[in-house]
Amino acid sequence: MTTRILLSGNEAIAEGALEAGAHFATAYPGTPSTEILETLARRGGMRTEWAPNEKVALESACGASLGGARVLVAMKHVGVNVAADPLFSAAYAGVNGGLVLVSADDPAMHSSQNEQDNRHFARAAKIPMLEPSDSQEAKDFTVRAFEISERFDTPVMLRVTTRICHGMSPVEADRDATWPRAPMRPYERDFRKHVLLPANARRRHRFVEQRMRELEELATEDRELNRIFWGDRTVGVITSGVAFQYVREALPGASVLKLGMPHPLPRALVREFAAGVDELYVVEELDPFLEEQVRALGLPAVGKEIFPATGELDPDLVARGLRGEDDAPEPIGAGVVSTPDLPPRPPVLCAGCGHRGVFYTFSKLELVVTGDIGCYTLGALPPLEAMDSCLCMGASVGMAHGMEIALREAGDARRVVGVIGDSTFMHSGITGLINIVYNGGGSTVVVLDNGTTAMTGHQGHPGTGVTASGARGGRVDIAALCRAIGVRRVREVDPYDLGALESALEEELAVDEPSVIICRAVCRLVDRTPIAPSVRLEIECPGCGTCFELGCPALDERDGAAVIDPEACCGCGLCVQVCPFCGLHVEGRTFEAAPVP
Amino acid sequence: METCNVLLAGVGGHGVLALSRILAEGALTAGFDVRKSEVHGMSQRGGSVVSEVRYGDRVASPLIPAGGVDVLLSLELLEALRHLPRARPDALVLVNDQRITPAPTGAGPVVAYPADARRRLEAARPDARVIPAHGIAIDLGESRVANVVMLGAFSVLRPEIGPGTWEEMIRLAFRPSLREVNLAAFARGRALLATGPAGATPAP
Repeated sequence: MTTRILLSGNEAIAEGALEAGAHFATAYPGTPSTEILETLARRGGMRTEWAPNEKVALESACGASLGGARVLVAMKHVGVNVAADPLFSAAYAGVNGGLVLVSADDPAMHSSQNEQDNRHFARAAKIPMLEPSDSQEAKDFTVRAFEISERFDTPVMLRVTTRICHGMSPVEADRDATWPRAPMRPYERDFRKHVLLPANARRRHRFVEQRMRELEELATEDRELNRIFWGDRTVGVITSGVAFQYVREALPGASVLKLGMPHPLPRALVREFAAGVDELYVVEELDPFLEEQVRALGLPAVGKEIFPATGELDPDLVARGLRGEDDAPEPIGAGVVSTPDLPPRPPVLCAGCGHRGVFYTFSKLELVVTGDIGCYTLGALPPLEAMDSCLCMGASVGMAHGMEIALREAGDARRVVGVIGDSTFMHSGITGLINIVYNGGGSTVVVLDNGTTAMTGHQGHPGTGVTASGARGGRVDIAALCRAIGVRRVREVDPYDLGALESALEEELAVDEPSVIICRAVCRLVDRTPIAPSVRLEIECPGCGTCFELGCPALDERDGAAVIDPEACCGCGLCVQVCPFCGLHVEGRTFEAAPVP
Repeated sequence: METCNVLLAGVGGHGVLALSRILAEGALTAGFDVRKSEVHGMSQRGGSVVSEVRYGDRVASPLIPAGGVDVLLSLELLEALRHLPRARPDALVLVNDQRITPAPTGAGPVVAYPADARRRLEAARPDARVIPAHGIAIDLGESRVANVVMLGAFSVLRPEIGPGTWEEMIRLAFRPSLREVNLAAFARGRALLATGPAGATPAP
């Protein structure tokens, strides 16, 4: 029975995939996309997989589509960069079973390193794009995307943003229904379509151009996807995605052209709309994607002169732009207020986090640290401040190699270390390490192995051997993998033992050959069992502040002295090891230097 | 009904997102249109957490317009001060009196936790309701239910959604072993405002 239920955009996309009878879904976790696959794995009814990275996810999806299955592949916006290689060619090859790629963009960078606008990908790859404006549309458009994919022989991008993914709104859905799987489309070998040799690809490119013309007809005629809401004819707004909701709120009476399928742009519909209004505005988050195309039609649209091109929009920014108020503060994120007189409360590494001691040691040894993407990026912030760069998934390893080349050239004696998490290492760190081995580099790479993809909410990865459905799969041993590609110096070090960490780093940095130090400590949010009883303060703390350099949330300061929160402390013992007065004690743990391998 | 804009604030681990989900489900069950928005990713790592819930006859934007917060429901004093600028002058300000000091950074200019946080809050909003939700939760033997104590207080101040609906939502939201303690927390939160003085609880 259909009922009105509250769903996040991500849950609604999963619901849509079930309703469409999809057979397979694959993804690499990334905020704000992660819950799509998590929901599908929980709901059952189709095969779900975490792929080691987005490129592999899309390639698996392309294979499943070729084999006749309906398949959904989900990733965050920067994940599409990783998957761009198969994407651009899959656009030529087309599909057999429907293929829907969800790109979850993050305007305002709530949890991302950039705020790229992935609508450009749909245009550059020449594939259609649907853009829902709430959870109901997230579900409905997912179903439509599968139909369009099969009807027009194309991958379809479903582009969503944080406020859709992690926003909730009512959806008419039947959660008790068992949706039949779509009939498998028979697989037949088609050399001219699926083997992209130049002669075949040239023919397919002509097909692609024709396909986009036909898709533009659909975009123009399909009122469920693209529709005009006529209202006050003095003001007309072209908009899409969540920005549509902001326009409805800021300008309840205006005429609106809502583009649920913004690419390919339905030019005839845009002209019809423009002709019906006095003033034409384009309201869109990030780049002037629609605006530039509207202007290319010779239509005088107003957009980024009055609306910000950075961060998120909200109803207020839309209203201010239209009123011509340019006193709006530089948007950092909707709803973010500046309160400089109050202490900030940024996220911190958890009490007992296995990453903390590693960054403390980097800082102590004054190393140049090329960092990576994950919880451990927090090691760049005060007080640890032990990271020189954070660029993209896997970059720590590639950049460590390049930094060493440059510093050696400059005669700069500073020592470089790359630091990367276990899931990120599987994603794209391994290729950087192969490069170091192959090209005779001497970098040291530290793998922080907390046995999970922590940042995105604890998903499995090949190093854990636990699959998306929670089943036991194959497990890739990181140490064995490093040895197999030719790294001779691979060692494991207890990250709670600062002496061992320091001597291991000193030794590996002194050797001019590739080395890998694996620091294994299960994420504290996965295993909350105390490592040891809470640390005790056994002297009157003189307040030297050394332990505060660890940035541990279990340590508080009262009148200059250290105070331990026994509820938060899990006995990791790092503060015991740094206290110059030996005033801190933890039971049952002793610390020795690690043996030299 | 005119849209009610609720801003829920707290610290990672407080159950802000769980509470906002109950709030949104309750509003939907009571027949309202609902939109909710929040940001995931850092919520378990001790950072500030915010969720926005909007309910009424018809709601479009998932985000509350600037300065349009009708109810500021904060699970921590400093977080209440932080988000106060977003609240309307006549907003209902409902705050758990718990203080959680941000982790010391040991570097850079340190802004201390304002010792007079509660006084500042009450000076800015004389009708703010500062309630001992954390203390009640500890008293109930489960520190995590402070969020539901707050819901109980909220349900008295915003009676458009009845207590029966909230109790149903609580039963649906928690696994059996946590249902009773959460229902008790809700009842304690209601009792606090149903029988207490009309204004703020006195400062210590």
